[in-house]
Amino acid sequence: MKQKALYILVLAALILSACGGLAGGGGQPSVVRIGWASGPDSLNIGVAWLASAYTISELTYSSMYEFKLDGTLGLDLGTKETASADGLVYTYKIRDGVKFHDGQPLTAKDVAFTYNLVMAHEDFPTLHSYVEHFVSVEAPDASTVVITLDQPIPNIASKLVFLYILPEHIWKDHSEDDAAAAYENLEMIGSGPFKMLEYKPNEFIRLGVNKDYYGAVPKVDEVIFQVFSSSDVLIQALKTGQVDMITSVPNTSVETLKSAENVKVVTGAPLSPDLEDIIFNMVDPANCPTADGGLCTGHPALRDKQVRLAMAYATDKNKIIEIVKLGLATPGIALIPSGMGEWFNIEVKDFEYDPAKGNQLLDEAGYKDANGDGIRDMPDGSRPLTFRMNWPSSDNEAPRIAELLSEMWRELGITLEMQAVESDALTSKCCPALDYDLMIWGWVADPDPNSLLIVPTTDQIPTGYNETGYSNPRYDELFAAQGAELDKDKRIKMAWEMQQLVHDDVAYIIPYYPYAVQAYRTDRFTGWLDTETKLALEDPSSLTIIEPVK
Amino acid sequence: MSIQTVEIKPIIPSASKNFWQTYRQSRLGIAGLILLLAILLTAIFAPLLAPYDPKSSEGVGAGQVYNAPSAAHWFGTDDAGRDVFSNFIYGARVSLIVGFFASFISVFIGGTIGIVAGYYGGRTENILMRFTDTMLVIPDLPLIVVIVALTRPSLLNIIFVIGIFGWTTTARMVRSQTLAVKSRKFVLRARAIGAGRAHIIRHHILPLVMPILVVQAVLVVSVAVLNESTLSFLGLGDPTALSWGQMLNYAFARGAMSTGAWWALVAPGIGIIWVVLGLILVGQGLEQVLNPRLNTHHLMPSRPTIKSEAAARSGEQVLLEVRNLSINYINEGQAPACAVEDVSFTLKEGELIGLVGESGCGKTTLMLGLLKLLPNAGQIVNGQVYFKNKEITTLSDDEVNKVRWRGISIVFQGAMNALNPVRTVGDQIAETIIKHLPDFDSAKIPARVTELLDLVGIAAEHKEQYPHQYSGGMRQRAMIAMALACNPEVVIADEPTTALDVMIQAQILELLDQLRKKLGLAIIFVTHDLGVVAEMCDRVLVMYGGVTAEYAAVDTIYNTPLHPYTQELLKAFPDLTKPKKKLSSIPGYPPRLDDLPAGCRFAPRCPAVFDRCRTEQPALHELAGELHVVSCHLVEAIK
Amino acid sequence: MNRWTYIRNKAIWSLFTIIFVVVLNFFLFRVLPGDPARQGIRDPRLTPEAIEAIRIRFGLDKPVINCIQTINPFRAGSCEINPLDTQFFIYVKNLLRGELGISFYYNRPVSEILGERLWNTILLIGGGQILSIIVGVVFGILSAWKARTPLDYGVLVTGLVAWSLPTFWLGIILLFWGSTHGFPIGGKATPGMSSYPFFAQLTDMLWHLLLPTLTYTIVFMGEYMLIMRSSLLDVLSEDYILTAKAKGLSTFQILKDHALKNGMLPLVTIIAINLGFTVGGVIQIESVFSWPGLGGALFEAVSRRDFPMLQGGFLLIAISVILANFLADLMYSYLDPRVQTE
Repeated sequence: MKQKALYILVLAALILSACGGLAGGGGQPSVVRIGWASGPDSLNIGVAWLASAYTISELTYSSMYEFKLDGTLGLDLGTKETASADGLVYTYKIRDGVKFHDGQPLTAKDVAFTYNLVMAHEDFPTLHSYVEHFVSVEAPDASTVVITLDQPIPNIASKLVFLYILPEHIWKDHSEDDAAAAYENLEMIGSGPFKMLEYKPNEFIRLGVNKDYYGAVPKVDEVIFQVFSSSDVLIQALKTGQVDMITSVPNTSVETLKSAENVKVVTGAPLSPDLEDIIFNMVDPANCPTADGGLCTGHPALRDKQVRLAMAYATDKNKIIEIVKLGLATPGIALIPSGMGEWFNIEVKDFEYDPAKGNQLLDEAGYKDANGDGIRDMPDGSRPLTFRMNWPSSDNEAPRIAELLSEMWRELGITLEMQAVESDALTSKCCPALDYDLMIWGWVADPDPNSLLIVPTTDQIPTGYNETGYSNPRYDELFAAQGAELDKDKRIKMAWEMQQLVHDDVAYIIPYYPYAVQAYRTDRFTGWLDTETKLALEDPSSLTIIEPVK
Repeated sequence: MSIQTVEIKPIIPSASKNFWQTYRQSRLGIAGLILLLAILLTAIFAPLLAPYDPKSSEGVGAGQVYNAPSAAHWFGTDDAGRDVFSNFIYGARVSLIVGFFASFISVFIGGTIGIVAGYYGGRTENILMRFTDTMLVIPDLPLIVVIVALTRPSLLNIIFVIGIFGWTTTARMVRSQTLAVKSRKFVLRARAIGAGRAHIIRHHILPLVMPILVVQAVLVVSVAVLNESTLSFLGLGDPTALSWGQMLNYAFARGAMSTGAWWALVAPGIGIIWVVLGLILVGQGLEQVLNPRLNTHHLMPSRPTIKSEAAARSGEQVLLEVRNLSINYINEGQAPACAVEDVSFTLKEGELIGLVGESGCGKTTLMLGLLKLLPNAGQIVNGQVYFKNKEITTLSDDEVNKVRWRGISIVFQGAMNALNPVRTVGDQIAETIIKHLPDFDSAKIPARVTELLDLVGIAAEHKEQYPHQYSGGMRQRAMIAMALACNPEVVIADEPTTALDVMIQAQILELLDQLRKKLGLAIIFVTHDLGVVAEMCDRVLVMYGGVTAEYAAVDTIYNTPLHPYTQELLKAFPDLTKPKKKLSSIPGYPPRLDDLPAGCRFAPRCPAVFDRCRTEQPALHELAGELHVVSCHLVEAIK
Repeated sequence: MNRWTYIRNKAIWSLFTIIFVVVLNFFLFRVLPGDPARQGIRDPRLTPEAIEAIRIRFGLDKPVINCIQTINPFRAGSCEINPLDTQFFIYVKNLLRGELGISFYYNRPVSEILGERLWNTILLIGGGQILSIIVGVVFGILSAWKARTPLDYGVLVTGLVAWSLPTFWLGIILLFWGSTHGFPIGGKATPGMSSYPFFAQLTDMLWHLLLPTLTYTIVFMGEYMLIMRSSLLDVLSEDYILTAKAKGLSTFQILKDHALKNGMLPLVTIIAINLGFTVGGVIQIESVFSWPGLGGALFEAVSRRDFPMLQGGFLLIAISVILANFLADLMYSYLDPRVQTE
């Protein structure tokens, strides 16, 4: 392969000459290079889906509130929040002298414009849900914003935190009808600590420091987010020093990275906590929503709480965490992840792993192995306890979980037929067809618990989020009440009770809440915030304070 | 994958009992078979061979992830702490199952379409082959990816999707084979006696198409195995079936390489390479059996001439003198075949010598030997060739190139294949002038080419045409024009008229004779037909089984032939001057050169054979008086 | 049949194939419902109204096609519907205007995204093809010329092994070898290079291109070597090579003037037909090396279920391959004079 060697040689010479040319260019700017697995889907936050789009928005925009790493929300652009006694009118004072990246001033008019824009656009799928009860937003003067609601909501801060303030002078030309959703917003003019310098979709994003930022001006000159196609490559990039920080580390690589030189691996709760859940189809064919296309083929045994309870007892969550997550997760209880701080009910006591107890429960409930094939049958002997188990094929941890569950539940005399399903098909299988027995799927949380608490409510049954068909009047009652409760402590109490209910009824088995795992190079920048409750090194909280290692 | 696109020409398989013998000769084929058998056995006996059950999580945990190879885990452990070796063994099952079933589907579809298109012909064929061609250019992997992405990623789906997109090449090959088979006699006969189409396809066509299906099946398996691994790598595999591709997917997605766990990537990769290589090699082996390549490779150097003591020369002033020339074919592991043995003759300026004998008597070998054009296996083992008193058998390639065409040129038989199909005839003629006559004014070359073509009666406008645009006779004449391009002194015409119709034969012969007279050429005219040369030759050399049977002036040969073979040849030749003569052909065939009879080579067919002939090879007897050499025991008496 | 008739027939056939692909491409993606609103991760913020708004935005609320009832029971069209207001018609209309729909994921016109990436892929395929053809042809010729020598066996074994290599696997191995030997770990350019002079940017890009191209070259050279070798072996046993030898031409002249062109003919066809397979290889190489090209786009679209992107990408690839085949046919008709009499 002489040719190859020659090729490399020639290129190396070219590179060297190029580097020589670059070195003469003067003072080195401090550039933080961050590697991640996928860039934002869109710079137009109205239509963006991905967390990475929100990450970039956090850095380039400001919003009324900031989302802190302890899970609480604090005023950011706003300086004062006043609520009317009936909880229907909120008045905000905002900072003076804030400027957009293009030098234009940011006033209350821009805030009102942004909120009205989102209210007018149903085709801003995620953002629009945050303005659900908004009636009007006005800016009586340059520093005052008044929001009027149609019902009191307990969590306005969590609604406003993601409504990044867009410059009216730019967006007003792109606000009508389809134009807003179609606007690519490549300049991404905002008022955050960083401004957009260069965007190569799916390659990299370069952000420069905003020297006019009203808060602490970042100490670095540039932040580069670079996309790497796989996590393996990502880690290699960190190890070889091609990037300074990576936003995710596969669990399997944690051990090696820990032993790598000048690399620190950190874990914590994710900024947006998520969970993996095992879903039971509990819909009785008698109540089947056939009008919506319901098939309701769920196994009858799963409608029996004793069976679900037995399965819960036979589920060794620690083993699942140990094998699938390599210990980097906490056992789950209900639909509110522990990373949600005060909303998470720490008092719920999980079913202790005890397969014998599970077997005993099944024996008591009359599920015997009638034909001696090692698999329990329905009490009437009509069919064996063989359940279909599905999961979205894009989830590469689910098959591992399924295998483990299959093994654990075999001890109960329950067998699984496992099948990955394309997530789109799984959605139709789930709801409204209800054509499954068990599923492994996941949810990702909003800062406010409402979005996850709504899942098992009766209203959501055929076409909403309630995949299980779980229906508990007490739960529904609590859900309605917490949605209008302005006293946070009372609301927390309600949320806790709701978690207890779902847990006791075994509507789900939640194997775990995963940790966020990130890593950075210690020889490049210092000051990363890695000891907070939540871990997000790509958050402005870290990027505005880190400085180069001297 | 495009291994399917390598065209296999329609073939008629050799008898199946020779199958193994032929296959064995393909070293690569054997290697492939060993590779494949090993992995097949591994897959079949997976539960016995695998030290761990890949589905079990026994002993798996945080400390077990990506452990390096050890006594407990030969290939280390994977991202979930499982034994890579066991996964590798079970993975073979999945990969092979996908490969074989997908291949079965492909070959079934391709075979059906090919046979139907080939057999029914007409509009059916047109539609089917258009469809096949359309499918052939649609990129299959992206299409497979798209379809698998849209459907459920189950093993069955993957098999099916890979299967239904891999058939196009099979269809094309089977069709051409069916076309070739359809026109064969026994199929025509079966149709004539009214056998049903289904019957004919099943009993007459299918058996002959089968070999192609088998080769295709083997190659498509390799494509399917690769495609499955690619799908798995792209995250579209069946996550419950741990194939090699799936192992790679997990390893790549879950940080094997950055962890330094090369084993998790290398083991399944080797598995894929192993199987695919094995399959391709077996495919090559099979192809060698079914479609044996001729072993003539014209650029392989022939074996070096064995120098021999030069015999005393006649001393006559001759242009070309061949002295005791012997040529052997040497194939490894076989006895040398004596193609030419102890042949001598001379040629003077303007003379025409006829070299006569049946096919396989060594005539062509002798001619090729003269110019050192022997194939790789050929070797001059004795004798000399003098061209203008210069020994040429021992010349180097560069030196002999100066003699070729400039001194001695050849008109090959079967000029269709002897002319390069992708270059114009004029160009091919001009090429020789440029090569051998460097002083020739290049501006005058086109005129010279026209002149040469004119000489052989081809109009100038054909100069820029390609050989396929010529008729058979024109091609042969163009070949003669080319042979004359550098004003050679000797032209060897190697059966220039075979495969031409009688009229054209006569034209060409006349042309050669005219040219000889006009240009003063010496010609060696090689033919199996004694009659053809009767009128033009000065002398005739009759060859049989590689040796000189009789060598004499043409009148002597015709009037007083002494060798029984010459006599028999003459009987086979209608003499128009003597009506009512009974024509006869000689029963039997010339001997195989690697299996010559112990005595006289003509003995088995000789009408005058006697005991001595069978044991003792006759010497070359030179008769007194005029030139007359005969190798026959009978001649001793006359002598 | 003269050359023009031949070319015309090939052109008609290519056009027919393109139409076939266009129609296939449409229905392939309509037979199974793909919805931008249905993502792998469920997001509780998505309300049914929001989903409907998205459906309208992507034109999925319209009937698939006029009169055909069976394609998708949920979105069937009856004959009373205006045929111009069906998804199929809009798809064809947009195609004619060079529009390939809007990416679910990027929320940008697919044609724009693919347009940006097309050049990167052409760069990769172009470089890789040229290198693999050169290496393949040179070693194929050497191997055929020096048949049955150690060189020949070396080429044969190398070719066969290269042929058996899974592309992505080789890519991974090279990537990690490269990452510890100073090569960039993927991507097309070092971020921030845009402010440097053109020449520095160019070298930076070539540096990034090196390993992907090498992977491509190794994977494809094997096949070209073997095909060149086998085709040249066929040619070298032809009578006209013996003629050329008898004409006193040197070995080099024979190879150059008589064997090469003839031996290259099958390669031309194979290279063209191969383009389809090449694209498969490019998907793998680009996703391993994070190379922002078409193949990578297709791979991302698959994992994100971005159907308009997948559809557009597939169409673009298929049409490119069909056109490449057409070009190969044209080239063939010039290279091989016999084509006209076929």
